[in-house]
Amino acid sequence: MAQKKKLYALTGKKKYSFNLPLTETIKIGKRHYKIMIKEDEKHGTYILWKNRRYPVEIIQSRQNKFEILFNYVSYSFTIETPFSLKRKRYLDNARGKIETEKIQAPMPGKIIEVLVREGTEISRGEPLLILEAMKMQNEINCPHSGVVTSVNVKNEMNVMKDDVMIEIKIAK
Amino acid sequence: MDIDGKYYRAFKERLEKLDAQSSKEKIRKQHAKGKLTARERLDILLDEGSFEEIDAFVVPDTEGIEFGKVEKNYGDGVITGHGKINNRLVFIYAQDFTVMGGSLGIVHARKIVKTQEMALKMGAPIIALIDSGGARIQEGIASLSGYASIFHNIIRSSGIIPQIAVIMGPAAGGAVYSPALMDFVFMTSYTSYMFVTGPNVVKEVLNEDVSFEELGGAEIHAKKSGVANFIYDDEENTILGLKKFFSYIPSNNVENPPRIEEENKTPGENKKLLEIVPDDPNKAYDVKEVILNIVDKNSFYEASELFAPNIITAFARLDGKTIGIIANQPKVLAGVLDINSSVKGARFIRFCDNYNIPLLTFEDVPGFLPGIDQEHSGIIRHGAKLLYAYSEASVPKITVILRKSYGGAYIVMNSKNLGGDFNYAWPTAEIAVMGPEGAVAILYRKELAETEDPKKLKAKLVKKYRDRIANPFVADEKGFIDEVIDPATTRTKLITAFEALANKWVEVPSRKHGNIPL
Amino acid sequence: MKIKNILIANRGEIAVRIMKTAGKMGISNTVIKTAAEPSAMYLSLADNVFDDTESVSEIPVFLDIDRLIHIANETGADAIHPGYGFLAENPYFAQKCLDNKIIFIGPSPDSIYKMGNKTIARKIALANNIPMASGSKGQIPTEKDAIIVARSIGYPVIIKASSGGGGRGMRIVRKEEDMPKMFRLASNEADKAFSDPSVFIEKYIENPKHIEFQILGDKFGNIIHLGERECSVQRKHQKLLEEAPSSALDSKLRDEMGKIAIKISSAVGYYSAGTVEFLLDSKGSFYFMEMNTRIQVEHPVTELITGTDLIEQQISIAEGKKLKLVQEDIKLAGWAIECRINAEDVQAGFSPAPGKIEQIIMPEGDNIRVDSGVKTGSVIAANFDSMIAKLIVKGKDRKEALKNCKHALDKVWIKGTKTTLPFFRMLIRNERFLNGTITTSFIENELDNYHVNSEYEELLAAWMATWLFVDENLDESNLKIDAEEAKNLSPWLLNKRISRH
Repeated sequence: MAQKKKLYALTGKKKYSFNLPLTETIKIGKRHYKIMIKEDEKHGTYILWKNRRYPVEIIQSRQNKFEILFNYVSYSFTIETPFSLKRKRYLDNARGKIETEKIQAPMPGKIIEVLVREGTEISRGEPLLILEAMKMQNEINCPHSGVVTSVNVKNEMNVMKDDVMIEIKIAK
Repeated sequence: MDIDGKYYRAFKERLEKLDAQSSKEKIRKQHAKGKLTARERLDILLDEGSFEEIDAFVVPDTEGIEFGKVEKNYGDGVITGHGKINNRLVFIYAQDFTVMGGSLGIVHARKIVKTQEMALKMGAPIIALIDSGGARIQEGIASLSGYASIFHNIIRSSGIIPQIAVIMGPAAGGAVYSPALMDFVFMTSYTSYMFVTGPNVVKEVLNEDVSFEELGGAEIHAKKSGVANFIYDDEENTILGLKKFFSYIPSNNVENPPRIEEENKTPGENKKLLEIVPDDPNKAYDVKEVILNIVDKNSFYEASELFAPNIITAFARLDGKTIGIIANQPKVLAGVLDINSSVKGARFIRFCDNYNIPLLTFEDVPGFLPGIDQEHSGIIRHGAKLLYAYSEASVPKITVILRKSYGGAYIVMNSKNLGGDFNYAWPTAEIAVMGPEGAVAILYRKELAETEDPKKLKAKLVKKYRDRIANPFVADEKGFIDEVIDPATTRTKLITAFEALANKWVEVPSRKHGNIPL
Repeated sequence: MKIKNILIANRGEIAVRIMKTAGKMGISNTVIKTAAEPSAMYLSLADNVFDDTESVSEIPVFLDIDRLIHIANETGADAIHPGYGFLAENPYFAQKCLDNKIIFIGPSPDSIYKMGNKTIARKIALANNIPMASGSKGQIPTEKDAIIVARSIGYPVIIKASSGGGGRGMRIVRKEEDMPKMFRLASNEADKAFSDPSVFIEKYIENPKHIEFQILGDKFGNIIHLGERECSVQRKHQKLLEEAPSSALDSKLRDEMGKIAIKISSAVGYYSAGTVEFLLDSKGSFYFMEMNTRIQVEHPVTELITGTDLIEQQISIAEGKKLKLVQEDIKLAGWAIECRINAEDVQAGFSPAPGKIEQIIMPEGDNIRVDSGVKTGSVIAANFDSMIAKLIVKGKDRKEALKNCKHALDKVWIKGTKTTLPFFRMLIRNERFLNGTITTSFIENELDNYHVNSEYEELLAAWMATWLFVDENLDESNLKIDAEEAKNLSPWLLNKRISRH
């Protein structure tokens, strides 16, 4: 893949860039620091960086999308090439950034009450439904203001982790 | 040779003209749509410097065109030739949207046909990179005849060489049938579409408003219609996926799939497998976890992931050798068999059977999905496809029953008497004519109606049923399965079994072809 | 009466905790093996294990009074320790033990009933001039009544489950239009959690600190307090971090509150260990909230600064022994902090994150105590609470305790599930927390995110993601294909294949 000299790891609005071939060093300022992925029975997989072990787990890896638990904090990245990044920007513009947010079940459980219907206008932080899991009734709140476009669950229904329960069209 | 001579100079000039044809402006336009050019796509897909173009200089047939006009160009909107993917020969044609919108004229079609014929002679796979506005209207019926020849060739090659379509732009009208006839379809999200009639016609005829994306975008075809087997967010990842796909399949129906040995061998015993399947038969789990803990590391490539997710169809490797996996997915609809999952499974099995890819089935199925909708839509004939495909397949076939295995679904999912070579069961398996709850309700209807505490009696009877009937040991003792195995050592067991089956051959009665219930 | 064998009607870390003290006192223990977690850690440490995995009952055994009594009789246990949660505050359970001549290690059924029913507890507190937030006189039967009562008290109000505890069945209502929904939610949740949908309403005290007093009383009417704990770090009434003592109390206020705590305990003839909870507002006024008639999750911080083993006290009180301690014996020495390391996803609003613990390494040291019921390989199941471990750290003063806590947190190693560690790592660096002025609304109102943010760590994670992408997609060595071998077929097969095609 001769034309791919670089890869970007995108998270939110931040972009980290890495040269190819990818080396086991990270440049901070002018210095290069060694970074290593290791594994042993006692610690599992970890990253060795400046003589310290950091726990690392791959929560999800799907095509070019990764969710990584690094030092107990989860980070989501999409890996882009210079061209795919350009394409992404073009498509984001073309689609006018109307995006739907899928509300997925954070854990397996039972739906106690659905508090919205298709077409409900809802603002950030308002409760969408009550999900019972681990003996607790959890209010699932709306992460963005918008309009409910589809409700895929009913009261008393059991859901699995990551099941899409509700979809919301995000208001700009 | 006189390099300043007339012919050599003409030769050089022609090359320059071909280069100039892909002007910066045209490339920019293509890029601005978020798309790569046909040549860029070939560059990413094929091993460096391996591409050999054929018919680069043919020109469109302009004779007899009485309506509209056809600009003169080299190549007629399609690049054809052969190259290598990971050092293995493939034939390829890539439609070039920058030349007359990649529209298909008779010359364009002839180039494709020529490539198809060569691929078949050489026993090498053929890849179609599709980015075309459709039939070239100016050329009239000639372009339609072009399509027909292409389709005919696809069907002639079907089952002999793998044929893969990659949709990277529009594919509309009759053109959609060329991907539809091929073995697998890749699509790139947001910039590729497939439909028989476009949104304009839908609007005119039915007065329905629908966007390109909603009518025939990648997501729709991946989730709803099942037309697209693999979708990716961008073209580079689509091509990377295609390369990955090729690492699992052989070049033709005589060869075996390639072998890719692991550098660090995955251990044969894995205790994690003891913990995934819950003892409670009503609890769901992700069967992918079972699969990933058995197959070689980094070797799981799922086909039609988003369509009928209650069944999983995937390529994987065991000890470096390709296998095709069919698995009920208890996480979705309890892994039930319905119309879509039956058809999805059947088509995957037939591909594997064609290309000498052994089949591994993981079974945890409560049965067929009941209901008016399913019955009226023909679950009988669609379910039969899965049954047919399993039985017909002559490649090595192994089944591992993880948990539920009831009734008709038990038979369908590659049971012993359907031709399963090795049928294993985990100790958690429940093999019976029906589930305990159902069986108890029928057999003890009277007792349950009369007792004071039916819940308690039912729980007791269900437990008894499980102990006596719905377990793997009864089937084992009667020989309906070959062995109850320790989940932790499933990998070793499977590797050994597939090794023993490597030279399996089944004589089939001579016939033109069977009559699968389509 | 000397106890010989305690049936522990609980699981997880508290089962392990009770075993430790029982062992020290020469008492044997019996635990119950359930189908839900047949390989839990507490089972491997127990003296006797009763196997209940075959049970077909729909009620979990730890909530099944008759079954527990049956198991105690079966196993020859002469006492039952209920731990916390489950049946720990169920008066019928305590009574049933009594009826069956089994010692219930806890207070009398009567005390549990009176304090457990929040409306009765309120009445008792009122009768004894205990300072309290204004609220409804009794249970609120309907949404309409709720609205009427709330109007008379003035918003904001808090709805609480009559038989509640641990934050379940609680809802704050700030405006009237939210009342019907919140009432339903609270009542619903209360019903699920405590099999009792009744709720009552109180004035909601804005931005208070949560201060609770540890009480010990014997069967001879002697009651002392062991100082306070501050549990202001809580989210939706779930405590996350507790410390003892509290930086908000001086010895005068401590005396005053301690006396009130003893007073209300005496009013119900309390014996065993108990906790009296107060809200303390910014002006130094405090309000009685409720009394928990059981051992608390956060009891270790009190143990560390008083040098008392609270479980030991519970047992010896239950045996009918007199308290050896008098109030003057109780000296608070040093500072202790407890972090509840739970399997929760702090970035998703502390939602439970059940999973399997792939590796766990907890720090060790003189100033560190770890109470845990899990080990490598344990499963944090969705049907129980999400506790992985309690990390309890001590220092000579708050500053030193905080420093020790920070170091200890850095040494924790847990793989396999998301945890509350990033929250504590953030908290331990937060100015407001460090100077000890936070209130119970801190997490919800003052924090933008619940985890530590480090640019370097994000960069390292980004590198990891890129590495994975390269490894899966671009690393050609992954796809080193031996194409020749594919063509190398056995003559048997080759011959057959070719002749068919």
